[in-house]
Amino acid sequence: MNLITKTTLLYLLVALLVFGFGGVVTYVLVENEVRKETDFALRDNLNQVSEELAEGIPLSVLKRGKVDISDLGEMARDTFFIYSDTLAPHPYLEGVMEPYRKLTAVRKVGARYYGFSITDVFIETDDIYDVVVEIMSRLFLILGVAMLFFSFLITRLLFRPFQQTLQQIRSFRLKEAEPLQLPDTTTKEFRQLNTFLTQMAAKARRDYLAVKEFSENASHEMQTPLAVAQGKLDLLLETQGLSDEQLTLVQAIQQSIGKLSKLGKALQLLTKIDNQEFSSQAPVNFSRITEASLEHFSELATLKDLQMSSRIEPNVQISVDPVLADILVGNLLKNAIRHNGQGGWIAVELTSEKLVVRNSGKPPRVPTEQLFGRFQKSHATDGSLGLGLAIVKKIADASQFTVDYQFSEGAHQLTVGFA
Amino acid sequence: MKVLIIEDEKELVENIKAYFSRGDMVCEAALDFAEAQEKLLSFDYDVVLLDIMLPDGNGLNLLRLLKQIRPETGVLIISAKNALDDKVEGLELGADDYLTKPFHLPELNARLNAIYRRRKFQGHKILEFGDIRVNTDNHEVFVKDMPVILTIKEYELLLFFITNKNRALTKQIIAEHLWGDDADFLDSFDFVYQHIKNLRKKITAADGADYIKTIYGLGYKFSEE
Repeated sequence: MNLITKTTLLYLLVALLVFGFGGVVTYVLVENEVRKETDFALRDNLNQVSEELAEGIPLSVLKRGKVDISDLGEMARDTFFIYSDTLAPHPYLEGVMEPYRKLTAVRKVGARYYGFSITDVFIETDDIYDVVVEIMSRLFLILGVAMLFFSFLITRLLFRPFQQTLQQIRSFRLKEAEPLQLPDTTTKEFRQLNTFLTQMAAKARRDYLAVKEFSENASHEMQTPLAVAQGKLDLLLETQGLSDEQLTLVQAIQQSIGKLSKLGKALQLLTKIDNQEFSSQAPVNFSRITEASLEHFSELATLKDLQMSSRIEPNVQISVDPVLADILVGNLLKNAIRHNGQGGWIAVELTSEKLVVRNSGKPPRVPTEQLFGRFQKSHATDGSLGLGLAIVKKIADASQFTVDYQFSEGAHQLTVGFA
Repeated sequence: MKVLIIEDEKELVENIKAYFSRGDMVCEAALDFAEAQEKLLSFDYDVVLLDIMLPDGNGLNLLRLLKQIRPETGVLIISAKNALDDKVEGLELGADDYLTKPFHLPELNARLNAIYRRRKFQGHKILEFGDIRVNTDNHEVFVKDMPVILTIKEYELLLFFITNKNRALTKQIIAEHLWGDDADFLDSFDFVYQHIKNLRKKITAADGADYIKTIYGLGYKFSEE
């Protein structure tokens, strides 16, 4: 339910309460006014009759349908005006009783006291009630229709800048350079919102670029000094007369430099995936990628005496960035070879739903799901960086795949689900 | 072989120059875009070593220029970027190879020589070392004129040894040459050992001398001594 529908319904609910309460008040006010007016008319009538009586007009003439006068002689007393409600037969309709207002009083006219009793038709409360309800419901109907109509117009007119803003945000991409173009609006709130959004978008983009630039620079700027150091060591090895001890030291330094360089590259790759720099989503032939990767690693597997078997369903098309797909499969196979023992086995299975890589190997020393974290190693002594599975996880997340790591009965099983 | 090194990091240039000073290479260096452009326009080189990230310009533009005026020159791109896009673009523009920093100088040497062989002799280059003759065109290897059958990795290893003859090569350098980024395996040194053992066996079985000298604790050296 959109905002306008919600507010309209709420307003209508409030209007319903107001009209209900207003109806009750109107009813009470009208009824009081009618009573007052009736009573006033009755008193007026009584005064007039008593004046006429004083002028000497005989009682028999003054006594009409609604006026009754009785001569009480000289020994009575004045009373207050006494009003009362009473019922009397309807003048024309037989058998129908009507409410009447009755005024009784004793007044002294000349030297004698007279008892007056005057009645008048009183407007029925039923009628007042009916009229009030009628007025209120019509007003409510008019108000309701008007509100629905105007809320529709308001959505169209007032909320247009808001809709445009929403549209713009939806199509906003961090990677693209063009600034967020939000519509001009005279509405203060929307203007504030737009200013805020524009600032946020600019900041997000700046941060994104800063992170991107930093990770790129960190990696690049790191590689050149490493290349210099690496070269110096290569030159050092060329010199004559190095002792065995010195040679071992040089080699250890070379290995560390190599590791540092790879670490930088791996972290840069993770950042790049985080920054969605690999965003091609065209379908790729995953079967071919898997087969190429198997071919690529077959030599290393053979050198380690590993039995490799594979069941690849042909022509499996998966929507994923081809570079990431290659890295994903490569890392899984590398992992399966690396954490395998001499003479072990690897089994790869690819269907349109999943890629499963199973391999023999020592049981992991930490819970398998933790191995997807960065720098998590099952066995601290091996030469890996501990980023392989973190990259697998990151690629899976970026490509909306699921990953699962199970160890049972001496077999590691990594499953990537495509669905 | 005449080589132009286009690279803004002075120390790296010094490394390369020092390393190649022992071979038959003539190295010149250009430290920025302008200098490189001037040298490329004025002189002829066999192979150009090109860093594509220069302080005053994009190295890829130098590549475009070079391919216009002297398309026969070999180009090896060296870059700190491991970006696939740069690699693809560089190779599409006519570069022969792409090497990511940091690299080992023997690796650079091997790559440069491979480009040189391809460019200068259209691959018809016979490499000779002692009793060994390698036809780089059809990958045939002869020891004392007897053909020796090598696996691809053994052939690559032999070629790497010959281009870096008389130089100390660590197991890591050899492993990275043979397996590139996959060399970070714990047991890749054992793999190197296996290949060396097989290559040595094949050469000596054909009555060749054992040129592969083991340097204890370090690696190997290919030499006649």
